[in-house]
Amino acid sequence: MTFGNPWFLLGALGAFIPLLVHLFDRRRPRPHPFGPMAFVLRSQKRTASRLKLKRLLLYALRTLILLAIPFALAKPEWRNDAQAATVTHGPAATAIILDASLSMRWSDGTPLFEQGRDEARDALKDLLPEEPATVLVCTDTPAPPPTPGFDRARLRALVDEARPTYAGADLSRCLELAARTLEESPLAGKRLVVVSDMTASAFRLESPPPTVKGPTGTPVKPEVVLRDVARSREALDNHALVDLKVEPALQAGPRAFQFTFTVRNFGMKPVKDLEALVRVGEATLAKGFVDVPAGGTTQKALTVRFPQGGTVAGAVTLAPDALGEDDRRAFVLPVPRALKALVVNGAPHATRYRDEAFFVDAALTSPGSPVEAVVRDAEVGLREDFSAYDLVLLLNVAAPTEDEAQKLTAFVQAGGGLFISMGDRVDPEAYNQRLGALLPRALRLVRTSAERESPDADTKATRLAQVKQEHPLFAPFTGSAEEGLVGARFYRYMLLEADNPAAAGGSQVLATYEDGAPAVAVARKGKGRVALFTSTVDRDWSDFSIRTSFLPLMQRFAAYLTGSLDEHEAVHARVGEAVTLRPDGAQKVTAVRAPDGSELPLKAQPDSSFVVGPVREPGVYRVLGADSKPVPALDFAATLDPAESDLTRVPPETLTAYFGEDTVKASTGDTNKPAVPLWTWLILTACLAFFLEGTLLRK
Amino acid sequence: MSLLDAQTLSRLQGVKLRARAVMEGVLSGLHKSPHQGQSVEFAEHKEYAPGDELRHLDWKAYGKFDKYYVKRFEHETNLRAVMVVDASASMGYRSGALSKLEVATTLAGALSYLLVRQQDAAGLSLMVGGAFRDVPPRASAGHLNVLLDALEHASAEGPTDLGSAADHLAEVLPRRSTVIVLSDLLDERQEALKRVLALRQRKNDVAVFHLVDPAELTFPFDDPTLFLDMEGEGRIEVNPREIKQSYLEEFGAFLADVKARCAEADVDYELVRTDERLDDVLLRFLSRRGRRR
Repeated sequence: MTFGNPWFLLGALGAFIPLLVHLFDRRRPRPHPFGPMAFVLRSQKRTASRLKLKRLLLYALRTLILLAIPFALAKPEWRNDAQAATVTHGPAATAIILDASLSMRWSDGTPLFEQGRDEARDALKDLLPEEPATVLVCTDTPAPPPTPGFDRARLRALVDEARPTYAGADLSRCLELAARTLEESPLAGKRLVVVSDMTASAFRLESPPPTVKGPTGTPVKPEVVLRDVARSREALDNHALVDLKVEPALQAGPRAFQFTFTVRNFGMKPVKDLEALVRVGEATLAKGFVDVPAGGTTQKALTVRFPQGGTVAGAVTLAPDALGEDDRRAFVLPVPRALKALVVNGAPHATRYRDEAFFVDAALTSPGSPVEAVVRDAEVGLREDFSAYDLVLLLNVAAPTEDEAQKLTAFVQAGGGLFISMGDRVDPEAYNQRLGALLPRALRLVRTSAERESPDADTKATRLAQVKQEHPLFAPFTGSAEEGLVGARFYRYMLLEADNPAAAGGSQVLATYEDGAPAVAVARKGKGRVALFTSTVDRDWSDFSIRTSFLPLMQRFAAYLTGSLDEHEAVHARVGEAVTLRPDGAQKVTAVRAPDGSELPLKAQPDSSFVVGPVREPGVYRVLGADSKPVPALDFAATLDPAESDLTRVPPETLTAYFGEDTVKASTGDTNKPAVPLWTWLILTACLAFFLEGTLLRK
Repeated sequence: MSLLDAQTLSRLQGVKLRARAVMEGVLSGLHKSPHQGQSVEFAEHKEYAPGDELRHLDWKAYGKFDKYYVKRFEHETNLRAVMVVDASASMGYRSGALSKLEVATTLAGALSYLLVRQQDAAGLSLMVGGAFRDVPPRASAGHLNVLLDALEHASAEGPTDLGSAADHLAEVLPRRSTVIVLSDLLDERQEALKRVLALRQRKNDVAVFHLVDPAELTFPFDDPTLFLDMEGEGRIEVNPREIKQSYLEEFGAFLADVKARCAEADVDYELVRTDERLDDVLLRFLSRRGRRR
């Protein structure tokens, strides 16, 4: 019990007034000679015992009045936790479990976690001197608390240093750990003090309640004190950004993306005109407003056109509410750069659709493509300064000269991309001789699966059989999209030699024909990449160029060969989980920096990947490579678990039923909540005593 | 204001004046009364029968009706009345204008006037401190002064001893006397009233004027009070409000008991509050006695 105006308690000394009056009242009664004295005597005798009781009652009532009034003025507040401590038979070993989940960051002025710390401090204060105690700050990965002891300063320091996390808290697990720790205390009494906002996501009510070993070894329920830091609030309203999808919006430009995000309203009131922004740094790139019904979900899409390519880190934000942390979702986005491609046309033709480069040019320069293609015939094209281009495509080109081959090799080694497609003009031996160092595999000879003009050409023509869809190049061609790929007919194609294990870097066959012959082979050469397509990109050897998959595949070839197409798996990091980074062979990872600037633990794996984390906060994590240089391509964003945004609270009666009505001794909350109005009861008691006193006096 | 209310009477100095005033009031009330006196007066005729005294033959009636009629009379003898006035200390109590003793002496004086006026013998027995001052009953007019003087000098002192008074009266009174007791009857001895009432068994006509002060009836005290016994050393400190109910029950039971015992013993009982009109008291008394006769 605490007092708002403790000085008024001095007034309780007034309770001695009736006693003093009784002891020192020396008023002389008026003498009165009276005839019928016998009747007075008899009456006095008859009423003596009743009068004695009445006087005693009057004394008690007057004392009560004089005690109740100063107590009421002192504004007593009933602290149920103290009551709980006193109702325990004897001292009890106590474990204070402080909820440090994301929901405790909810704030309407004072964060719930601050109130929780105050509650934990109060719980420590309320302990009896002979009660050992411990503190467990409950997170998603709780560790057993220290053995219960009497070092209150250490426990207070634990509470002072506690910080709320961005993840959920497994209170059920924490209670179990605390119960196990309490068993180390020889005291018979065990008490668990839970300081939490009692959100449903923190409890696993389907699991059994915590128990401790009783004196006989049988499990018994410990006393549970619930300190609900949010009990003054009817509900913890919250809206959150629970999902974000970023997809290219090619119709809006080569570097346009559509941000589709989902906003959920966990509160009981609808949210109107909620502002949503797409921001990169301090710049706002797109802005919109959403209405979310109570308890409902709304999806909104915003399109952003990025001015330049590269890895972009930013965030989608909502107008913040009491829990601002879940109103923001970070993203890391590889925006394609503008690519310049030199298309070397080995078989130009006056009729456009018969031109070797016609379909490739159309595919690369289609709307939304970041590629700017320059088409040259072989003679001119091979003399160009390749350094002005990101990508060179040799389409059915006769083998370049030695000089041209050296230029091409230097170009690729320096990071350029080289695409080579076959055709009638390709001389395998000349290619092997001059470009052998660049080719993923040596060319062998041309195989004809069907003559183009024969009537059964369509049935005899081969098709693509095995496509490595796990490779970024073919990653989009899954499901129905695969049809456009495997439906293409190949009448003729170049066979390749087996891979030379001794060759540096080695090659990779990403697609094969039905006979197992490679259709697409790729290899890394220096800093660049080379792709070999063993058929033609016009309609001479196949009808692939008129298939729906041709255009996107050519664009992905361009992106892949220039390094724009990220080969990394999309990293979906969630707070509380570890993240696996898979750098390229050329990339090195030396550190990962969290949004708050701290470095995360990094663990190298045998498969040259790295395990980072677990990540502890949402936002963009920066990856540093050799010499602490940023590797933006490996940057990733961590997001919150949407389940933690649901602040639905468990009703007190449910918790009482869960822990057991006989063990839940008290339920208290924050100090903002008006305490049990004890003073009104005291005033009522005083009034009642006053009334009874008057009634007794009249009798 | 009437001349006969207690406040006015208290201003009249001496028993003589008060008694005379009361007597005048009684007489003015009597003319409407059916009461026709108590002396030797004609009552009725009766046809003569052998054995009747011839001196009572009404010759005038014989002349008219030619039949012998004998006259019959109410009382053949004079009335002897003795007023027993309790002058114990408790009779000195007063909460209003008159003490119980003053009321008793006034009533006794007024009755003396009435008795002497109709040539009945009136006597007095004054109980003072366990002793008795007797004035034998006589019917002469000069005797009235003796009676009134004795009443005038009565003072309240000593204990109430009704039993001794009864014994004393039994000794000194001839049979068939009228005994009028004026007392507060505050005698704790159980047999005291019984002995007074026993006078009735000796062919005496007994009447009791029970004098009660209004304060004794209503117990109107509020503040803590030290009650002192007027006839002894007893004292008690009480809060009157606490015992009032109980006292009223006890005193009410006492009054009811006295009244019941008087009725049982065929004794006239008159409760007299010291604050009421005394002529009303006497008229009530005389009226009741008239009805009885």
